[in-house]
Amino acid sequence: MMSDLFGKYGTLFALILIVAAFAVASPGAFGTPGNLINITQQMSLLAIVSVGVTLVMAAGEFDLATASLVSFGGILVMVLFAAGVPAPLAFVIVLMAAGCFGAFSGFIVSHFQVLSFVATLAVGTIVGGVTFMLSDGATLFGGMPPGVRDIARGWTFGLPTLTWWMIGVSVAAWLLLDKIEFGRRLYAIGGNREAARLAGVRIVPNTMAAFALSAMLAALVGMLLTGRIGSANPTGGGGYLLTAYAAVFLGMTVFRDGEANVPGTLVGATIIAVISNGLTILGVSTFLQDIITGSIILAAVLVRRIGKAK
Amino acid sequence: MLLEVRHLGKRFDGVRALDGVDLSVVAGSVHGLLGENGAGKSTLIKTLSGLVTPDSGEIRVDGALRGIAGVREAEALGFRFIHQELSLVPHFTAVENCFVGRPYPRRGPVIDRAAMRARVEPAARLVAPDLPLDLPAGRMTTGQKQLVEIVRALMTDGARLIVMDEPTASLSDGEAERLHRAVRALAAQGVAVIFISHRLDEVLAICDRYTVLRNGRTTGTGGIVGTTRADLIRLMSGHEERRPAPSAPVAPGRPVLELSDLPFGPSGGSVSLTVREGEIVGLYGLVGAGRSSLLKLVWGARHHAGGRIRIDDVELAPGRIDRRIAAGAAYVPEDRRGEGLVTQRSIADNLAIADLSAVRTHARLPVASARMLSARAMAIRDQLSIKMASPWAKPLTLSGGNQQKLLFGRWSGRKIRLLILDEPSRGVDVGAKAEIHAIVRQLAAQGAAVLMATSDMDELLALSSRVLVMAGGVMTAELAGDDIVPKTIVAAAFAHSDRKEQR
Repeated sequence: MMSDLFGKYGTLFALILIVAAFAVASPGAFGTPGNLINITQQMSLLAIVSVGVTLVMAAGEFDLATASLVSFGGILVMVLFAAGVPAPLAFVIVLMAAGCFGAFSGFIVSHFQVLSFVATLAVGTIVGGVTFMLSDGATLFGGMPPGVRDIARGWTFGLPTLTWWMIGVSVAAWLLLDKIEFGRRLYAIGGNREAARLAGVRIVPNTMAAFALSAMLAALVGMLLTGRIGSANPTGGGGYLLTAYAAVFLGMTVFRDGEANVPGTLVGATIIAVISNGLTILGVSTFLQDIITGSIILAAVLVRRIGKAK
Repeated sequence: MLLEVRHLGKRFDGVRALDGVDLSVVAGSVHGLLGENGAGKSTLIKTLSGLVTPDSGEIRVDGALRGIAGVREAEALGFRFIHQELSLVPHFTAVENCFVGRPYPRRGPVIDRAAMRARVEPAARLVAPDLPLDLPAGRMTTGQKQLVEIVRALMTDGARLIVMDEPTASLSDGEAERLHRAVRALAAQGVAVIFISHRLDEVLAICDRYTVLRNGRTTGTGGIVGTTRADLIRLMSGHEERRPAPSAPVAPGRPVLELSDLPFGPSGGSVSLTVREGEIVGLYGLVGAGRSSLLKLVWGARHHAGGRIRIDDVELAPGRIDRRIAAGAAYVPEDRRGEGLVTQRSIADNLAIADLSAVRTHARLPVASARMLSARAMAIRDQLSIKMASPWAKPLTLSGGNQQKLLFGRWSGRKIRLLILDEPSRGVDVGAKAEIHAIVRQLAAQGAAVLMATSDMDELLALSSRVLVMAGGVMTAELAGDDIVPKTIVAAAFAHSDRKEQR
């Protein structure tokens, strides 16, 4: 029973331990309410991308186009702003465009049964190329309608606006995966594609929807990032690919046995954000931070593996 | 006597796989091992290769008692196995494949390719002088790959017994003949060969002796000279000439499933058949006869061009399983783990996946509620008496019989018009088998049309009101009433190999 609890919640205990350790190591800095709220803002964009990846991973696939889609979303929205497209319409166009790329990946993967690793690497490369063409390879400034920046900056109801975005997306995705029939179908496909198919689950439309939603969340993050920093860079999303997958993999060690799940992903994203924030407060160099983050991910996965082998 | 097996017994989860097998193999002879699917041939071979430890009986090699505890011990005894699924690396040549998993000859640190070839050549010359040794296996025909496996088995010193599991099953006639010559060449070298085959004429042609298994028991053994096809068929089917207990007579109802001119089989033929309300149609055939493929075609899991599939006069498009479910069809696949269960998900999820609308909280909202999932699982548990700890346990915590019941339970609560069953009681114990048969009978009595593929003669006889026999993708017999006789059924199941031999 004890080992069972540890197996299911070990990563959560690790998070609590890490938080406690930082609180002790940097009294009066890390553990303050202000800093903790700050962490929720710092982690929000990573968390949204990771939640999108969780949808695809629930269906047993990878989407390596995620980072390219973040950059694409940021660039396209700036291009549309510069062309004078009203902000709400611009948002919709960006989401639709990203959704189409995602649905395309999902179609290639499910209909032609191409390895998603390969297919989405190719689609990601195409999206990257489109992004560079849209921006001419340059960082785009200006043209942003007033008021748009508020969507990604500032505070709302006592919390950073970005934190609200993270909460909203996470709750929606959690409902989708855990409460709605669509989620059951995705998990069945991810668990045993052939069994799901023979039980009447339609593989192609469900897989396409998962990829499309994931792509839309990536593009949303691209737009939020642009709103936050006021400019868009054609490689602005590059950093999200590996960290998002790290968060999902960490999350697969919590709550559920090896299944991508939204609460787990949030724990994973929190761990990554807390380590980064805490080490920065302690003045540890970013290079060393990467080494420590990587080691913690390995440790979490190994502990679970070894616990299972017993 | 090179190999002597006496009264070998083995049970798996209460299922008797071997129940007193005797087998004697002489050096320098080809020994045919025959039996229907599930007769115990594979389990017997696995005990010889050290993969399965028998519960009782003895294995003697050169008269000395041997416990074969593992693959390496079997190898040390000089036993070599050529499995039906060939295990060659496609990009490697014949020579390279012969050395996979074996020590390479080296000159210093470098692999000595000339020495590799020199080691392979004598064995190749013996059984297959025309085998292209430098061709990658991926570009070889199935027959050539078989020969590579034989060369590989012979290459090491001390090969004394080679077991071949249906080596000619997927070969053309010319290739099969080539292999027959190789087998005879092996025997001439003093190697013993155990030759498993469903092609009786081939067994009669190349074997010196035979042993027939049925229900895990040796039912006959002897020299091939003076033995006829009919003798072998009688030993394999082993049944009385009369049907034991005919199932309740059914008044033929309306046609439910109608297949018309469905393109099927390797020879470009087509299949037409009708299954009526309340009727259980048994589909019998050897492994590879095409039963599972036909069922998958009916279920919409495979595509077809041309022909028509109708359920209750509604024509169904290929590849649309969801439409078939909506039309009241249900399917229980053959491979529980691979095609039936989503093993990472809970029992409740597995029971709900085919019809998630059954676990909605509100009929209009696509919300799956945990309470409804659990309630449905408990109801099905009571209905089918499934032994489970909790609806949230994983399906693999259940016994084989209970896992199989989950696949039936998945369709519970629906009006089943057509029930498609592929080996409905494979690998379950006797008690669960009886329960599953009762479920099938009950569904048929409620008006379902049942199409059931099985390799289990007892099951076929116990349930079927009509029997269709397939061989090599072709329907070779349709039997009803008093014509449902094991001997006729088995003869029809072997019919295709006859035609193939005669061509």
